[in-house]
Amino acid sequence: MWARIFEFSMACWLAMSPFIFSHQERWLYANDFSCSFLLMLFSLLSFHHRLFRMHLFNLPLALWLLLIGFLAEPSFASTPPIQNYIVLGLILGMVAIVPSNCHLPPKSWR
Amino acid sequence: MTRRHSLQAIPEPWDYNPSKWSQRVRICLVAAVATLIAIYMGLYQWRLIDSVWDPIFGSQSMKVLDSDLSHAMTRIIRLPDSILGALAYLGDIIFALAGSTRRWQDRPWLVVLFGLDVIPLGIVSAILVFMQGFVVHYFCFLCLVTAVISLLLVVLAYDEVWSCLLYLTRVYRRSKSVKILWKAFIGQATDIGLEVGKAMERGTDWRG
Repeated sequence: MWARIFEFSMACWLAMSPFIFSHQERWLYANDFSCSFLLMLFSLLSFHHRLFRMHLFNLPLALWLLLIGFLAEPSFASTPPIQNYIVLGLILGMVAIVPSNCHLPPKSWR
Repeated sequence: MTRRHSLQAIPEPWDYNPSKWSQRVRICLVAAVATLIAIYMGLYQWRLIDSVWDPIFGSQSMKVLDSDLSHAMTRIIRLPDSILGALAYLGDIIFALAGSTRRWQDRPWLVVLFGLDVIPLGIVSAILVFMQGFVVHYFCFLCLVTAVISLLLVVLAYDEVWSCLLYLTRVYRRSKSVKILWKAFIGQATDIGLEVGKAMERGTDWRG
């Protein structure tokens, strides 16, 4: 479950980002808070034994954060909030595919 | 047929378990050093620090990090190249930590992903760094250190990837079925996968 805890801490960082980077644009606040909420939701739901694959919904979130970075104007993409999105998107893309209870073999092998 | 198997099994062709924790934690520690070095260089490229420490080449490091090639890469990947390197090393850590001590058989996709992150990416990045003297005409001590670490990671990680590929190859040879190979790859237990895994066992590694 370390991957889900990692995702949760990334969600906390994303929720704090507007105050750390002092966003100039209003949509960045909305984006940070909504992505952070969804990230927390999916990673916490993955703790439930029936919803253990919910963390895979974090993959579209990672893609969304990356898209913002890659579709932004080059001068805007180099600003701290967008660099934050690209870094978080790449890390989230790697962590979100790690299965819950990954220290154990998959169920069919147990 | 029971599908339970020993998590400490030693697969062919080794005399130890390449998926055991001591092996993987070693990779994590080495990759963590590279991650920290790459983040340090990335902080300079983000202009969060004023200079980069280099005991051998002095200011050449900063010239490498500020080179036209580096700026061109930043325009393409939208991130300083050192930060992208740091994320690749972080990926090594994440994929090394995931999976059981028999993941060469029960989660081959994870081992293959780990192998792709460590081996081809590590070799290519090391070649690029070693070539910087010819392309940029300057050298960067910390870049060279991370390149050596990349090659060290390849040496530390290839054994597990080899056993995993050997397992997948044997599953395909035995079944002649892409469907069963795919099931083995994504970590679904099959009778053929179990038999091949058992046949590959050379004993038990209790050393942790």
